[in-house]
Amino acid sequence: MTESIKDKAFQGAITFILCILGIIALIPLLTVIARSFSSKAAADMNIINLWPVGFTLASWKYILSDPGLWKAFFISLSTTIIGTVLALAVTSLMAYPLSKSNFKLGQILMLYVIMTMIFKAPVVPYFLTVKGMGLFNNPLVLILPHILSAYNLAIMRTFFKQFPAEVEEAAMIDGCGYFQMLYKIVIPSSKAVLTTVGLFYAVTMWNQFQHPIMFIQKTGLFPLQLKIRQLINGGSDFANIAAVANVNYTESTLSAATVVFAIIPIIAIYPWLQKYFAKGAMLGSVKG
Amino acid sequence: MSKKKTSAAVNMGLPKSKTSLIANIKKFWPYYLMVMPGVLFFLLFKYIPLLGSVIAFQDFSVFKGISDSPWVGLKHFKALISYPDFRRIFANTLILGLCKTVLIFPIPVFLSLMLNEVKNLKLKKTIQTAVYIPYFLSWVIVGGLIFDIFGMGGLFNNIRGFFGLDSILIMQKESWFRPIYVLSSIWKDAGWGTVVYLAAISGIDPALYESAAIDGASRFSRIKYITFPLLIPTILTLFLLSIGSFLELGFEQVFNLLTPMTYSVGDIFDTYVYRVGIQQAQYSFTTAVGLFQSTIGLILVLSFNKLANKFSDDGGLW
Repeated sequence: MTESIKDKAFQGAITFILCILGIIALIPLLTVIARSFSSKAAADMNIINLWPVGFTLASWKYILSDPGLWKAFFISLSTTIIGTVLALAVTSLMAYPLSKSNFKLGQILMLYVIMTMIFKAPVVPYFLTVKGMGLFNNPLVLILPHILSAYNLAIMRTFFKQFPAEVEEAAMIDGCGYFQMLYKIVIPSSKAVLTTVGLFYAVTMWNQFQHPIMFIQKTGLFPLQLKIRQLINGGSDFANIAAVANVNYTESTLSAATVVFAIIPIIAIYPWLQKYFAKGAMLGSVKG
Repeated sequence: MSKKKTSAAVNMGLPKSKTSLIANIKKFWPYYLMVMPGVLFFLLFKYIPLLGSVIAFQDFSVFKGISDSPWVGLKHFKALISYPDFRRIFANTLILGLCKTVLIFPIPVFLSLMLNEVKNLKLKKTIQTAVYIPYFLSWVIVGGLIFDIFGMGGLFNNIRGFFGLDSILIMQKESWFRPIYVLSSIWKDAGWGTVVYLAAISGIDPALYESAAIDGASRFSRIKYITFPLLIPTILTLFLLSIGSFLELGFEQVFNLLTPMTYSVGDIFDTYVYRVGIQQAQYSFTTAVGLFQSTIGLILVLSFNKLANKFSDDGGLW
């Protein structure tokens, strides 16, 4: 295929525009990183753009020595890990029978699940119900409401449907029970879908904000996102902390460091996120 | 012997479908056990709250509970229609929904058509990596980044200063709320939105492009006459589904971008219900608001899902 000069110019222009867009996408991150490493003087003079001015670790030293932030971090981390494991167990347990045509309740149960997607319960009775279960100011509220989602259930069910029936029949003849079948044969050969769905759940739980702000009022139980919102919101603790003399940080550099602190875990697992989320987006578009 | 007897009795006493269900349970009982936790989950977190919506027809008080609170019929629904606050949040929700559909929805389409033109694979991967990152950040973080950029001494005001303009705090300005909503949505989600389109593009038969190239079609006309037309079913499906979720603007996004100064334009159903319903405990009235929203949502989802199924075989959600 020969490319004309015009075509080459066209492609070049598009590539150029996309590079600019890619850089624009990163600018908000760059500027907040720059601010987190900048000095009080630079922040007060409003001269921080994309690069740290008056490089200092003062803001970072302060926020990393804040036990409250670490506590929130570990609350988020532990609830995310426990929640993801629990979610994978509940989701695979329900998806497996739903993928079987000889399970008589399958059709009705799918309707039971889909109904919840198309008519959503209003927030207030939801709030009252969950509070009534004793989940107000209870860390379990960061886990239990997220252990099953109709979307993830559908992805897993589609995947299980493709599992070769002959393998299961052979195992059945060898005296394998249904639970053993799921945990010893089906699950070990479904690692790709488990990773995808697991990451979907994990990101939802790690990033969750609506449940914490509705149900968690004790500051000691705040997960990371809520803690960050409390810290960076105007008129917060940071304003008072930075008002002291002889420190090399300001309210804005402390906020910036906190935001970067919360971004780091996501960036750390980003290669996996990118790979498996793309897989999930594909699987999600296949219905069975 | 006794087993035979009971099954015969069952056969006589019950309709056929029920006996076969019992036989199915007997044979596949582990399946029924496996779905229990999931069934319980949907019951507790979806269906019981739905039943709890009856408080919209009561003057509900937590101390009396549902059984003892007085029934008031449609009082709250009547109040809602004549309530100026309700009209304002309804209008805000519709305007933001319209922005979402008209301004935000098309961006990933253009982005993926452009990304497909980048022939250097390493460069393409790098660009994709950069534009996908924001999708994985929470709205608290994105809100934090946006307040940082547009705050005093933020990048935006520094650039204004460079051109000799005064600093303005646009996050506190009503007229800027909607543009910020649109821009933040695009920044966070548009990159990721290309994934499905790029997959659809990669499924297009390369022979089509080859013969077009032989006929002397330029790259632009190949996009215009091959890629774009073949992408239309995907676009249409996603478009119909997006209208189906017209009212779901995202509590977390709006809440994290809102300041008390921008309530007049930025307050939507979700943020209003949170503030007035949960924080100020006006349970019955805000449940009526929620039911109104869910009902419109139901109508939208049902009708547009039907349309989506019409346009492509498995386009709809179900």
